[in-house]
Amino acid sequence: MFRNIWLKELKEQLYTWKGTLWLVISSLTFSLISYLLLTDKELSLLDQTEMMWMLAKVIISIGLLIVSIDASSIISNEFEKETAESLFLSPIKMKDFVSGKLLASLTLWLLIFIVSIPYILVTSAGTKLFFPFFYYVFLLGSLGVFGFIMLIFAISLLFRSSKNTLTTSLVVLLALFIPSLFSTTLKNNSFALALGKVNPVDNIFSSLDNVLVDYQTSLFHNGQFILPLALFCLITLMFLVYATKRFKQAGVVKNG
Amino acid sequence: MKTIISINNLTKSYGSIKAVDSLSLEIAQGEFFGFLGPNGAGKTTTIRMLTGIIEPDNGEIAIAGNAYPNLKPILHLIGVVPESRGFYEWMTAKEYLLFFAQLYSISNPHKKIDELFGKVNLSERKNSAIATFSRGMKQRLTLARALINNPKILFLDEPTLGLDPQAQEEIQNLLKQLNQNGVTIFLSSHQLNEVSNLCSRVAIVNKGRMVVQGTIAELQKKTNLEGSTLKDIFLALTNNNHV
Repeated sequence: MFRNIWLKELKEQLYTWKGTLWLVISSLTFSLISYLLLTDKELSLLDQTEMMWMLAKVIISIGLLIVSIDASSIISNEFEKETAESLFLSPIKMKDFVSGKLLASLTLWLLIFIVSIPYILVTSAGTKLFFPFFYYVFLLGSLGVFGFIMLIFAISLLFRSSKNTLTTSLVVLLALFIPSLFSTTLKNNSFALALGKVNPVDNIFSSLDNVLVDYQTSLFHNGQFILPLALFCLITLMFLVYATKRFKQAGVVKNG
Repeated sequence: MKTIISINNLTKSYGSIKAVDSLSLEIAQGEFFGFLGPNGAGKTTTIRMLTGIIEPDNGEIAIAGNAYPNLKPILHLIGVVPESRGFYEWMTAKEYLLFFAQLYSISNPHKKIDELFGKVNLSERKNSAIATFSRGMKQRLTLARALINNPKILFLDEPTLGLDPQAQEEIQNLLKQLNQNGVTIFLSSHQLNEVSNLCSRVAIVNKGRMVVQGTIAELQKKTNLEGSTLKDIFLALTNNNHV
């Protein structure tokens, strides 16, 4: 049954132009970054691996941002547009409802990633790093997006409002992004180091650094970054399960 | 006749407000039951508890042999026209019904959908986007969706709201026909003429509590208002001039 929900969401993305618009925005951003890397006086002096590192960060950041914005309304809209009651009067299971929506959000990430492939190809031309670049952007991006979607869905089920969900999600996203952008000198105290170890965005960027700058391309060498990401996904999954239980207790319609 | 819906001491509060207060009633299989009450009397909350959308604070519910809290199996047996009538406006009416037919795993859904469009008189607009529908057309589409799984029990919350008199009559005739075919109907409506014409038994609730229930003749006797209309009885019992 989750397949029906997934297909409905995909059709909605297509019919309402929302999905297409997101892909155009992604493509324009990747084009702009690539253009700057080639033409900007300072950026064009960067080493090719650094260019790849920068593009990888942009692809994952754009993916996280767009999927987070989109996921903020994918569940909440069912309550705001009063379609949830009719939906839950059918024999749909909660896990099918959530997994169908989750798959739809992951599909959006997959499409953004597909849009980014030509840029990955061009930037990595002439190096032996195309496959690690391709593979790690997909792996790290997918783990990050997966964790964030579950977090956002949990917030959606608790708030049932797209505005509140979007605001909270963006605050969380920024709170995790900003420390990861600090320079290494600012990260030299124990608190910053500990935060860096658990921050999923920091782990994504550190792993990209490890793969593209230090050429440590094996999963073994990146386990220290991938494991905290997997843990982040597990924690958000547990939060989603808790939010689903709270949702069931409160009923499909609040104050009904 | 066999009881298909049974409620005992059903209670639901929202904060300090008791929306439904110790409500008890029994509905027999094949009955056309009218559920009346002024705005805020607890009708919609009762229907939502019966259909599993919200959980009661207290009391017992049994529908077709399934007792609360295990009401999930009844979703295959019931059809509901709920109070909230949101739609996926970007879908066509046909896509909308097809989506729900798939959720119910209906075999040969296209045939079923065409049959339903004929019943609710929407065949000509089945390929139009729901966003272009009038309120009345949306109402008919909601009824078609409620009938997609051939329900044994229909819960209707104001099914003819916003319909013109001709469409109201069409829907009433359809409901009569469904009831004659054995479908139990639980109708909540403010259209008291509609309730008088259709329902074999009626319950009136006010401020969440059961005021009276029975056939219209029994209601007239109980209220000493023999010969009066259902509207007179309703106004006398609820002290409410706004029907």
